[in-house]
Order: sequence, then structure tokens, then C-alpha cells
Amino acid sequence: MKIRNLFFTMAAAAVCLPAMATEAKEKLPTAEQRFGGKIEDAENPSFRRHVVPLASKLGCSGRECHGSFQGRGGFQLSLFGYDFKKDHTAITNDTKDDIRVDMDNPAQSMFIQKPLKQIKHKGGEIYEEGSWEHNLMLKWIQEGAKLDVVETGAFDRLEIFPKEIVARKAGESIQLKVLAHWADGTVEDVTQFTRFRTNDESVTEAHEGGRVEIKGKGDSHIVAFYDNGVVPVPVMLPVSKLVGKDYPKVKTHTKVDALVVDKLRKVGLVPSETCTDTEFLRRVTLDVTGTLPTSDEVKKFLADNSKDKRTKKINQLLQRPAYAAWWATKLSDFTGNSPQQIRVNNLPRDTNLSGMWYDWLEHRVAENVSYDKIVEGIVMGSSRTSPDQTFEEMCEEMGSYFRDKNPKGFEERENMPFFWARRNLRQPEAKAMAFAYSFLGVRIQCANCHKHPFDQWTQQDFKSFQAFFTPILAGTNNRSEGKGNMDYRTLTAELRKEANYDRNDPQQNLNRLLRPIIEKRLKAGEPIPWQEVYIRQRVQRKYTPEQIARFKRRNPNFNARVITPRVLGGEDVLEAKYEDPRAPLMEWLRAPENPYFARAFVNRVWAHYFGRGIVEPADDLNLANPPSNEALMDHLAKGFVASGYDMKWVHREIMNSDTYQRSWRVNETNKLDEKNFSRYVLRRLPAEVVADSIMQATASDDRVEEFVTNMDTRMIGSASTTNYRGRNGAAYMLQLFGKPLRENNCDCERTSSPTLLQTIFTRNDPEMLARIEGTARGSSSWISELRITHGESPRDRANAAKALQLRRTLEGMRTRAKRFAANKPRKPEGNNPAQLKQFQARLKTYQKSMAKMQGTIAGYEKRIAELVPPKAKLSVKETDAMITEVFLRTVSRYPSPDEMKSAKADVAAAKDPITGVRDLLWAMLNTKEFMVNH
Amino acid sequence: MANHTYCDGVQRRDFLKVGALSGFGLGLGLPQFLAKAGDGAVNPNAKGKAAIFVRLSGGPTHMDTFDLKPDAPDTHRGEFKEIKTNVPGVRFCEHLPKLAKVADKFAILRGVSHTLAAHALGTQYLMTGNRPLPSLRFPSYGAVVSKEMGSAKELPAFVAVPNQGNDPTGFLGVEYGPFETGAAPRAGVRMDVRGLALRGITLDEVDRRNNLVAKYDQAFGDFAKDDKILAGMDEFSAKAYQMMRSTKAREAFDLTRESPAISGLFDDQSFSQSCLLATRLVQSGVKFVTLNLGGWDTHNDNFNRLKTTNLPALDAGLSGLFATLEEKGMLESTSVFVTGEFGRTPKINARTGRDHYPRAMFCLMAGGGMKGGQVIGASDAKGEGPKDKAITPDDVAASFIHSLGIDPTKEYHTPSGRPVMIVRDGTVIPELF
Repeated sequence: MKIRNLFFTMAAAAVCLPAMATEAKEKLPTAEQRFGGKIEDAENPSFRRHVVPLASKLGCSGRECHGSFQGRGGFQLSLFGYDFKKDHTAITNDTKDDIRVDMDNPAQSMFIQKPLKQIKHKGGEIYEEGSWEHNLMLKWIQEGAKLDVVETGAFDRLEIFPKEIVARKAGESIQLKVLAHWADGTVEDVTQFTRFRTNDESVTEAHEGGRVEIKGKGDSHIVAFYDNGVVPVPVMLPVSKLVGKDYPKVKTHTKVDALVVDKLRKVGLVPSETCTDTEFLRRVTLDVTGTLPTSDEVKKFLADNSKDKRTKKINQLLQRPAYAAWWATKLSDFTGNSPQQIRVNNLPRDTNLSGMWYDWLEHRVAENVSYDKIVEGIVMGSSRTSPDQTFEEMCEEMGSYFRDKNPKGFEERENMPFFWARRNLRQPEAKAMAFAYSFLGVRIQCANCHKHPFDQWTQQDFKSFQAFFTPILAGTNNRSEGKGNMDYRTLTAELRKEANYDRNDPQQNLNRLLRPIIEKRLKAGEPIPWQEVYIRQRVQRKYTPEQIARFKRRNPNFNARVITPRVLGGEDVLEAKYEDPRAPLMEWLRAPENPYFARAFVNRVWAHYFGRGIVEPADDLNLANPPSNEALMDHLAKGFVASGYDMKWVHREIMNSDTYQRSWRVNETNKLDEKNFSRYVLRRLPAEVVADSIMQATASDDRVEEFVTNMDTRMIGSASTTNYRGRNGAAYMLQLFGKPLRENNCDCERTSSPTLLQTIFTRNDPEMLARIEGTARGSSSWISELRITHGESPRDRANAAKALQLRRTLEGMRTRAKRFAANKPRKPEGNNPAQLKQFQARLKTYQKSMAKMQGTIAGYEKRIAELVPPKAKLSVKETDAMITEVFLRTVSRYPSPDEMKSAKADVAAAKDPITGVRDLLWAMLNTKEFMVNH
Repeated sequence: MANHTYCDGVQRRDFLKVGALSGFGLGLGLPQFLAKAGDGAVNPNAKGKAAIFVRLSGGPTHMDTFDLKPDAPDTHRGEFKEIKTNVPGVRFCEHLPKLAKVADKFAILRGVSHTLAAHALGTQYLMTGNRPLPSLRFPSYGAVVSKEMGSAKELPAFVAVPNQGNDPTGFLGVEYGPFETGAAPRAGVRMDVRGLALRGITLDEVDRRNNLVAKYDQAFGDFAKDDKILAGMDEFSAKAYQMMRSTKAREAFDLTRESPAISGLFDDQSFSQSCLLATRLVQSGVKFVTLNLGGWDTHNDNFNRLKTTNLPALDAGLSGLFATLEEKGMLESTSVFVTGEFGRTPKINARTGRDHYPRAMFCLMAGGGMKGGQVIGASDAKGEGPKDKAITPDDVAASFIHSLGIDPTKEYHTPSGRPVMIVRDGTVIPELF
């Protein structure tokens, strides 16, 4: 606990802005006043406070100019200007004859002449001679071109006036004022040194010197950048006249609604009505369980007249196994559970480590283990479950999860080490980025190479943060730790011996030899050489100056300085010596004051329900990307912490609000709103949900039941964790609909854009058609069942059933024949008589078998043709029931009278009624209403 | 979709347009995914109008294919002899006799070199032209081409035969993904390609079904025109319908329609038939076709495996491909790029195999205005590395992209806002053009 105080001093300063607005400070002189006019009267400029920010504001250190990693015209500045020392050296240190800074004759310095275009400058004229900018740069050289980072001390914060702009009409213009507060107490007006940027130029634009122009209706932010400060100012122009007093009365039942409507009232957005019960049921079931409601469920829900039936339904759904499955999948997305990246070469192919990761999560979601506890299990994951566990014991424990007899449940382990075992996380910087992405929702990667363009993070921050991850290792741990004689090497040698491996034998393939042995051992629960996740603190060595010089010659970037770990936005973890650096990291994460941990999660949950985060993109929390509703974000994050990181609290808090239950139907004010949550924004179902929904809508009745309770075959669950490309024929489909690979540290890996190939799939892909017809592997469908149960006479029905069975056998036979045909013996090249003879013999056998197969196939075809195809005659009632069922199965509602009428006509017009029903089902599966959540 | 600035502090240009159209600054108004096909500035003067990418997965040995070293010591040389080709001075492996007769059609790049000796990384490198990074997945060439060149009217822009492997589109997103045939074509058999084949249904039936969807897809009424997701779906429905009705699309996949003069140039194996299919697809307007011939990971028994299986398959397929493109007058307008993920160790191992070796490999380039009948670059005497200056996979990629009239230095923005060039570090190889 004692370190906690250290962590938050800076974070607090960065996140909240103490209101220190005083009239006096607003009267501070501007840059122009201080540096304009006669140069003799100008102030003495500071490198850090004035020169670098000015160069940055003018674009000199931008990516297109000298901030480029190649520099421009032989002159390179740090990108976005924060490496003061490097920039100072670049400006003042001449390596060639060029005089970039000429102390004897400052006005002749290249640094002065270039921007004035007195000499050739590709970037053109940047400012005029005699301007305050020119004065400032020149004066700085006249005064000795000094580096003054130490003297200026630390930057404290940025303060902006006004704090919010609510405009009345387009074309209005507002002047911003920016004050920089330094740790030494200095306060300066830095408006003219500040870079401004709009977050949406259709709403507002920022001009030179902090003049804000209102362009159009909507709300956005102007962001100010100076030194390490990044401050957004909300700017809005209401979209309607319905603001303030004129705003209609909107009932707000929950805190969430009150906070959302507060914002809507400001912007003039009137929320949509609440959605209907049918819409609600479909929406909430898809969102919580990744599944359509069954027909029965729709009927029951609509018939239920109790007032709190929506809340009851929410609670009920959160208890279902499908909720745990779907959220284990979502958490797998966020934590990067990628089968490809944790594959181990020497393991049998079906060893499903990714599935174990998933199971571990699913178990916890089902038990509603608190979020911080789950994260702790991941962050603190090591392969050895206790510090004194030997290699042998570890191997035994791992073996116990795989043995055939009475395997131990991996999910019962306290921690889950695979997060760190991923192959794309070998480097400590990759670990730092993955950690920041998964648990902080922060994209720190920019700061790996340069100052983060939209946030406070510097390269130094990144390096200090990265230092936490250097001791986390994954791979072969050859050092025998703890007691015991066995280690990775000895065990590997043992296995090789068992396999009779001879390294000089050309025909041997080590992996192929080892695989059966490993497989056998795994089944028996015996140890195999496991790679592991472990911690090894590097011994801090002191180098002699000679050594350092030698290392530097070999590697110019060599840095003998040991970097002290530091959490983002906090201070060094100096005092406490932790054996495992992840312990203080975890403590920092779950501390209530942590500025990111809770926010990142509630924001992702919000994004799940609304298709868009309160901060959007949902995994990009940065100072320049503020929440569209800060009060709402604050409420949810604080509530989540107060609930003890209870995930279900967040779900309930959101889903019970009217905001979640709004209709997609728009009104005049909100038809274009996508970020203030005044209406439900339509979106395509996620890949796994599409796959499962098609499966469920087409499945036979008994399978629908099983499908709802049994998660094993569900794409939203474990079925998609292993090597999903090969499973249930759904691989291509999942790829088409944008299932994430989980390799990129980005929530954007999961996509929901519609594409042409998706439409072709649902319209005509054999996989799709087979699911409807019930000819897909091992599955009967609702339609195939109908065909059987609605034959004309019992005899017809029996015949139909028989025909169906025969048809399935026939399909199998055809497939076999096809496969067999592909293996037709090929004529050998050359004239080797022995080979030719062998070929002839094989060909003969082949032809014989082929002929036999074709004979059998023909026989089957004949028998099927003889069985009279059923011509179902359905009663009106039966037809109506089937049509209704089609609607319930696909769009989870009853057909309207018009739809009923027209569907009856369509079914009657088909060559037989069941085919008519099939076509209707196909059509409904191809509607937008089926494919989007609404 | 975020409406904030990107990593470089510069706002994306097309955002300006979208933002302006949305009217209110309440989020994006226009579907991102509709601003897709052919949004690139493709140079109309470039010769390449379509491309075929042939992946030799497993990493083919350079020493026994296109970069033989007859004078190297026994430990390196290998069993195969060199033969003459129809280009004076260009020689390669005796087990590629058919390719030797069309050697004037393609260029051989030797001494191509990199440092990634693992299959996955090497493959990512060679299939994207960018050295893999842990923080970013680059798009494959096919995704770039479908983004820049758009699709033919009745066919997908990007077809993978039979598939393309994980993550073909990288940060560009599923919009630019391949249409996977799922199976390789077989000789003399009409290919029922998934999604396009009308199995047992007539065109009338297609029309009837289309009307049926239109009739029942009314839930959103007029709002379907205003909503970006719904409008996008409707557009794709119309296009899918068009494609399914299209005789052209179906016939493109039907190898039985090919004249015997052409189909006779190929053998019956699936790689050869895939090559034939590729030429038909390109002829029908597909912009990018990926083919695959695997089995090159010859850690043991290298020479037997090559001469009995891999080389005959490669020889028949590629020679047929080049000859057919020439015959149909399409070689000039079709860029062809053939590559594995790395070469193999020049030194033969104890199992008469060769192991992974990225320091020296070969690539073949043809068509699209790239000059055939030449060898560019060279490996050293034992094939252990480039002789002089190395050709990098990035250079080859830049040349390939350039041949199609796409600027390889064009910048995209990743969803996280990072500006990234199509090929970050490559230079067009001047000898090719």
C-alpha cells in the first residue's frame, strides 16, 4: 500500500484540472507582446518553453518535415518535439561546415535564415523577418542558444479558457486562452505556442493563435497541445432549437439515463422512444448470449404481462451458460487469445492451449469472479504454480490437465500463464504494448518510437514502463530451478532416447518421431518438456568505462543506464524490491485511483451494447480523445470499482437503462446521432453470432433445445478457439464475417462491415444451403424434418424418411467416390518396366473398384427415385403455423397480417408446400432484419 | 470509426469528405465500406492490369531450382544438372524442361535475401512486402490490389485458389478479402465454385428468390436508404444477385469450356489446373488471383522429393501459365510473381535435406511490362548469400505493385491511425522495366 501514494501524484494532475481560473492570470502578456517589437526589448526566450513548442506549432518537427525519421535536408528534430537534448544537439552541433547556429553572427545562422527563406528552404518561408517568431529564435541564439531543461524544471499542467464552448450559430468565432503552469510556480500565457486541433472539422475548426470557428451542428472537441500537456475543450452547436428550457420533458428512470439526457439537452437531441418488447427480447438475447431467442421464448415473453419482465429477462440471461461463453470469447478478444501465437511446435496438433485459456475465462465469467481477480490471474500467470515448484512438478501438473484418466481442470488453476507465452510477445516492448492494450485500453505503441502525438506519453515513459516487462520470460527454461534433477534438457534427452533418435540418420524427422511419444505421455499424464513462463530479474551489473566504450562501439545505442520501472502516469517503483515485477503492476491496476483500468473495461462493455464506446475507438483512451460524455464514463467507472469490479453490475446498469432500450426509429433531431446514444444504432451481428444464428434458425426442434444449453458446438464458445478454420465448415464463414485473429492489439480486429462476399455466402453458399436443407454433415434441419413429418400418407412419410436416409448415404458415397477418383494411379515417368507393370496392376484394381462404386451409386439413385416424393398437403392451420415459425426463428417476431397473406400465397405457389416454406426461410435469412441487431 | 486525428498529427483526407457529407458532427454519416472499390489513383499507363501471385509454400530451395551451382563443392552442389533454356546464357534445373522452353517469358531474380527463417514470418514478409512487426499486420498484395483497382462488374476482385491462409487483409479489413474457392479445380470437371455455382437451380429460380427477399425485407422502410449499414447491405445484395445471374462469372470457373489447344498446355494435377483457372479468371476481369503449390519444406530427402513431385508439378503449371498468357495476348497486361518464403541451406544436411535459409532465395517475375528472359541479381559462388547488392523482398514487392500502376509508397492509415506505406522499404528494381 505504501507505494500507492507514489503512483498517483502525476496521474491525478493529468486527469483532472483543478479550477484555478483567476482574472489576473488571464491578463498575462501574450507571446507576441513578450517577443515582438524591437529585439533588444524582447524577453530572453527559453529553449524548452518557447523554442521547441514554437518549432512544433509551426510544423518544423512534424512528420512531413524535420520530424521525419530520415530528417529533411540533413536536419532532424524529434517527432512532435519532446527530446530536448537531442533537438538541442541537432540545432547547435554542426557536424559539417554548415553553420546551423552561428554564435558570432546569430543572424547568419542557418537556423534563422532558412525559415525566413533568406537561403533555400524546401519548407518555404515559415515566418516573416521582424515577426515575433523571428525575434524569439534570433534572441535565443544571441543569448547563447542554451539548453535549459534542468532550469525550467517540470511542467505541471495546462489550463484553458473557456472550458467549454456552446455556440448559437455557425460562423461564430471564439478566442481560446491557454495558460501553462510550471512546477516552479511560473504561469505563462502560451496560447501562441500551442498547437490546436479539431476532432471534427464539420463542427468546428481551430485557427492560428487559438481562434475557434463554429462550422456546423453537432459536438466535438478542440484539443490544445503544449509541452506535455494535452487538453480537450468541448465545442458544440445544438442540432435543434430544443435546448435548455425548450427541451421536452424526458423521463429518466436510471442514473445512466439522467446523465445521457443531460448531454442530449445541451446538444438539442431528443431521444427515440423505447423499443417494443419483441425488439427488446431479440436485442438483449443477442447481446448477452450471442444467440437468437427461441420461438418459445418469444411467445412466452410477449405473453408475459408483468411490469418488470425486461429486468427479469436481463437477470435470467446473465445466468445462462451462453452469457459466460460469449463473454469468455469477448475477454479472449481483449486479452489476445490467439491459437496461432500459443501453438507449441512439438505438441500434437489437437492440443488446444487456446481452448484452455478460453475455459479458464469461461469458468470465471460463469462464477462471476470479479474482473480484477480475473486480470490478476492473467497478469500474475507463471507456469509454475508456486515459487518452490520444481521443473518436474510443473511438468507433472501440466500433464495432469491432459491425461486421459480423470484429468484435472485447467480452469481450477489460480492463474493462467498463456497471456505471456504468446510468440508475438517475445520482446518486452511487445509485452508492454499488449498489457496496455488489454488492461488499460491505451495505445502506448506510438511512444515506442516518438512522443505520443495525442497523449502525455514520452519515449522515456515508454521505456520506464517497459522495464516492468523485461524480467517476464517465456520459452525454454534450461536452468534447473528449485530442487530436483530434471530440467528441460534432461527430459528432452530422455525423450530422444526413447524415440531412438539418431541425428545422423537422413530419414529421421525429430518432430515426427517425438510426436507419438509426447502424445502417449500426455495421455498417460507423464511429464513432457514444457516450455514455461517465468520471471528472471536481470542481475544489475556495473560496467567499467572501458567496457561501456567497447559496447558502444559495437552497438551505438548501448546504454549502460539501468532503467527503473515506472507505471504510466505515476512514479518510479524504487523503494520496494519485488521479486516479481508484476506484483506492483497489479497493485497499481486494481487501485481505485487507477485512471484507466475500470474505464477501459466499462467502456468496452458499453461499446459492446451500443456499437460504439463512450470513448471511441473503445481501446484508445487518450487525452486528446475524450469521452463523448465524461459524467457517464465517470459514473460507470466509479460504480464498477465500488461494486468490487463486479462485471454483472456493469451489464445490469447499462441494460436496465432506457438508453439501452431505445428504438432504432429516429426523429427529426437524432437521425444522424451516433455518439450521444439518443437512439439505437443498427449494426451487423458479429461473426460467431451470425454462424450460430443461422445454425439455430435452421436446426431441427430438438437441436435448437440442445443448442441453447450446450456450448460445445457453439461458435460463440469454445468451438471457435482451436484452429477454427477447420471446424464445422464454419471457418470460411467466420473469416468472411470478421472474426478477429487476436494478434494486433486492437479491438478493430473484429469487424462488422457488410461485404459483397458475405451476401453471396448467405444467398448461395453450399454451406448455407446445406444447413437449410439439412444435408450438412451430421445435422438434420427443421426443413428436412418437416419433409418427413408432412408426407401425404403414413406410407409416403415412411418413404420420405427412407429416401432421406438413402440420400444421406448416397451423399457420403459420392464424396468417397470423388475422393477415390482423385487418387487415380498416375503413370510413372520413364520406361522402367517394373514400375510400369506395377502401375498397370494398380490401375486395374482402381478401375474395378471404381466401377463397383459407380454401380452402387446408380442403384441408390434408382431406389430413391422409386420412393414417391412426398407431396405434402397441409391444412391452413399447419401452413400458418409454419409461416409463423419461420418468422419466429429468423426475426424473432410474429408475421404482420400483410406478411402472412403474402407468405401464404408464396407457399401455395411453390411446387410443394414444404419447398415453399423452405424458400421463405431462405428469404428471411437473407433479410437485413435478420442480419442486424435492431 | 473515430473522428480524431491520426498518429502523424495529420487528419486523413477522405475523412474531410465524409465529415462534410454527414451534415451534423455526430459521427460519420457515410458508409466507410462503400468508399472502397477502386479508390486508388492507379497509373493508367502501367502495363499490368491484373496479377497472379504464386506461392511456393514451405520455402523452395534455390540451389536445386533456378540458382544451381555446378561448380560448388559436393557438400553444396546437389544432384541436379543444369540445362540450357530458350534464352542464351540462362540455365536452370534439368527437371524444369518445359519452363526452359518459355524462359524468355519471365525474369529470374537471384540473391534475394532476408533474415527471417521461420515459415510464418517469412510468409508474412513475402506475401505483404513488409517485414512483419509485432504491432501491425500488413495487407497481402491481393487486398491492396482490390482496394486500389476495384472489382470487375460480375466477379470478385480477389480470388484465392483454394484459399489464402490467415488474415489476408491485415489492417485493411475484410472488405478487401479474397473470394476463396475452397477447392482446387480438377481436370475436365466443371468446378462448382462455392457461392456462384447454381446447383440444380435455374436462373428463373434465382430471380424468383431475389424477388422473395425484396418482398420480405421491408422492416426498416425508408430508413434503409439513410442508414449506412442497411444501405451497404442493399448495395451488396444487388451486386450479389448480378453476380449469381452472370453467365460470365460461372463460365470463368468452368475449365471444360477451355479450348483443347489451351488446356493441352497443362497436366491433370491440381496446381496445373489452378494455373489454367487463374488465366481464365484474369481474362474475365478478376484483378488478383492467388495460387499455392506446397511441399517445399524439404528438410530431408530433398532430391527425390523434388524430382518426383515438386519440380514436375511446378514445371507443368507455370510453363502452361506463361504459355497461355502469351497465347491469349495477356502476358503484357498480367503481372506474375512467384515466390516462396525463403531459400534453403546451400549445404546439404545429414539427411540429404536442406533447411530454412533466408539469406539467399529466388523469385520469378513476369508480365505487366516486366522484362522476361533475364537473370537479375546473383548469389555468391556457393549460393550462401547475395553476390553483390542484395535484392530485398521489399524491392521485389515494390516492383510488383509498381507494375500494376500502384505507387508502392502510397500511404494508408491503420485503424489506430498510424500512417503506413504500401511497401515501406522497397525500391523498384530498374532492370525489370
